[in-house]
Amino acid sequence: MLILTRKLGESIRIADEIKVTFLEIRGKQVSIGIDAPKHVSVHREEVYQMIQEQNIFAAQYDVLGDKKLSHIWDRLKKEKEKI
Amino acid sequence: MRLSTTRFGDIDIDESRAIMMKAGILGFEHLKRYVLLVQDEEILFWWFQSVDDGSVAFVVINPFVIKPDYKPIIQDNDVELLEIESPEDVILMSIVTIRSDPFRVTANLRAPIVINLKKRLAKQIILDKPDYPIQYSMMDNKLILGEESYKKEEIIASALSI
Repeated sequence: MLILTRKLGESIRIADEIKVTFLEIRGKQVSIGIDAPKHVSVHREEVYQMIQEQNIFAAQYDVLGDKKLSHIWDRLKKEKEKI
Repeated sequence: MRLSTTRFGDIDIDESRAIMMKAGILGFEHLKRYVLLVQDEEILFWWFQSVDDGSVAFVVINPFVIKPDYKPIIQDNDVELLEIESPEDVILMSIVTIRSDPFRVTANLRAPIVINLKKRLAKQIILDKPDYPIQYSMMDNKLILGEESYKKEEIIASALSI
């Protein structure tokens, strides 16, 4: 991993299009500003990881046709009606 | 074109109806084209089937069916990226995680798939604020599925229009 030391207000540039600026430090929290083109998605790492894992888990659902899905839908409806 | 899928066998799809992901579904970034399959109009679970890989498909639901007051904020850069000109052009889908226990069936409200129907462009966005959970239980609210608490016809019509 490349490690750089920067002062507040200073930036780093990633390739031609991405600029990261270090704005503020408060205790253990750091505020950073990111200028990136719109096709570059910027996410908090832990949220990104969680959503990726959820997608991969969701994609594992593999039924034969939609029979089981209709069964689950009916059960959901039934349970809801009890509430 | 003929598409070979693991879940539905060989199906005929209209290539011009495919939706192009401007940014792939996280974890599946290499897959760019999807079609929406509505198998049964009585069931508001639909399939978001990859055109590029027949073995990849997600169960999706229109999030307003399970959370009528859902109000995600789509960032300006995503509005631009998806070439959205009017809110009417947009339809949202939440990826559903199916488990056999209905109490554990969840929908991802934190990262909806935003589809621009006009341009047939889509992206799975991640909402900035954590108000909406990644695992929203379908049993979480008092809403009874299939009741008039949401406009079922409209929801189905919107899916069929994709």
